[in-house]
Amino acid sequence: MQTKERPVPNGVVLELSGDLTYANREQFKTAVEAIRQKGCRHLILNMAEVRFVDSSGLGLLALVSQNFKLSQGQVSMLKPQSYVREIMSLANIQKLIPVYDNELDALAGHQRAA
Amino acid sequence: MPTLPSLTGPSSIGEKVVQTVLVVDDEPTARSALAARLKRLGYRVIEAVDGKSGLEALRRERPDLTILDWMMPEIDGPSFCEQVRQDPELLTSQILMMTSHDQPAQIAEGLARGADDFLSKAASKYEITARVQAGMRAASLIRRLEDVTEEIRRKQEILKRELQSAARYVESLLPSPGTLLPGVQMAHAYRPSLGLGGDLFNIVPWGDRVLGLYLLDASGHGVSAALRSASLATFLRRENLLRHVGSTDPGAILTEANKQFPLTEDGNYFTIIFAKIDSRTRTLSYATAGHNGAFLQRSSGEFCWMTQPNLPLGFDGSTIYATTDVMITSGDRLYLLSDGLYEAPNSNGELWGQNRLEETIHRFGIHSLAEVVSGAIAEAIRWQGHEQFPDDVALMGVEVMDTDV
Repeated sequence: MQTKERPVPNGVVLELSGDLTYANREQFKTAVEAIRQKGCRHLILNMAEVRFVDSSGLGLLALVSQNFKLSQGQVSMLKPQSYVREIMSLANIQKLIPVYDNELDALAGHQRAA
Repeated sequence: MPTLPSLTGPSSIGEKVVQTVLVVDDEPTARSALAARLKRLGYRVIEAVDGKSGLEALRRERPDLTILDWMMPEIDGPSFCEQVRQDPELLTSQILMMTSHDQPAQIAEGLARGADDFLSKAASKYEITARVQAGMRAASLIRRLEDVTEEIRRKQEILKRELQSAARYVESLLPSPGTLLPGVQMAHAYRPSLGLGGDLFNIVPWGDRVLGLYLLDASGHGVSAALRSASLATFLRRENLLRHVGSTDPGAILTEANKQFPLTEDGNYFTIIFAKIDSRTRTLSYATAGHNGAFLQRSSGEFCWMTQPNLPLGFDGSTIYATTDVMITSGDRLYLLSDGLYEAPNSNGELWGQNRLEETIHRFGIHSLAEVVSGAIAEAIRWQGHEQFPDDVALMGVEVMDTDV
């Protein structure tokens, strides 16, 4: 799994590629925690290049969302692929992490919520 | 004066471990000269007069180093080396080969056939000392490696036995199949992926005609998943639920469990289905938390997956889990299962899937519940091509029958 961060107005986009699974959990946690500790209030996970999320990956997403909430932040998700989208919706993850199809909507959604 | 404890351990104080060298040479003068020199250097020396007795001594004495003549009748030096390298007991032996004509091509052949190093018969005593010491260094490294490997193997064996004992405990928590209530039968299968699993299921006896049952799946595998499962199963015992939830309602139970079991710091959580069968009113009530493995097979053959998109336990402490009620009739069968069953992959990575599971259970038709349960597991095993499931697998089937006799 590869991660690349890119600053946007009032937030950070984390571009993910590969699988978000048990095997990659440390890498994902480290990347996200570094962004949170820099004081970022809005983390946008770009899931366009993520092929698979397993049950561990799902737990990590919930954990990241909880940790951002504790520091008055928010996590959003961009463009999950159809399989990942299905897994997310079976576990109702969009209740915790809003899902958007483009970056502008994600940024606007956060501003509305703030 | 008080005695100071030894810092280096008892075995290495005062007694230097004497290393052993085996000298294999058919030529008596050369052999005794080398043996005498090695004894002067402080080694214990064993002598062998040819390749055959050399191999016997090697097997018997396991010396730290063997010094071997190239030219010998019957088994010569290189053949000796080849035999050693093919023998699992001896193959790590350190062998220093001696020759009087040390041509590069010959040295290469000797090394290729299994010698570790070369020593010219014309070598100075300094070179002999240095080569023997180098061989001893390699020998002690190999010996340490062998000791550490043995230690790891021994500890793994202990760990394995402890895991097996824990697995037996977890299995002892599972309910006995058979009649749960008058007119309610149960059969189940439990196949943890690592001996010790994160799936658990059980029944909660609410009364003469009312029964609670659940199946939970802890994320992750192995010891930590099993401990978390056992802890949630303890929470879900009858007395505890009556005291802490004060209700037999599945939704109320999951709403409270969700508060008690937040995400772990590694992001681990549970999915669960909790159901209640009331045989007086013929009602099945259930609530799920992120759990998709549950369906009702109607006596008519119709399948109803009891899937509700909702959060697993621990994702959001404020979640209220709702109870769904459905009517059941005689001959209806309820199946609770973990996703490890329908997510069993074949060799191409294709998952068995909910549809194939449904077809399989359909095909079994009116066979007994126990046959359907074991048949579904057997079919998933056939699909993946081996016995060992990559994820924990649990399947519990419950049948409601007519009791109006």
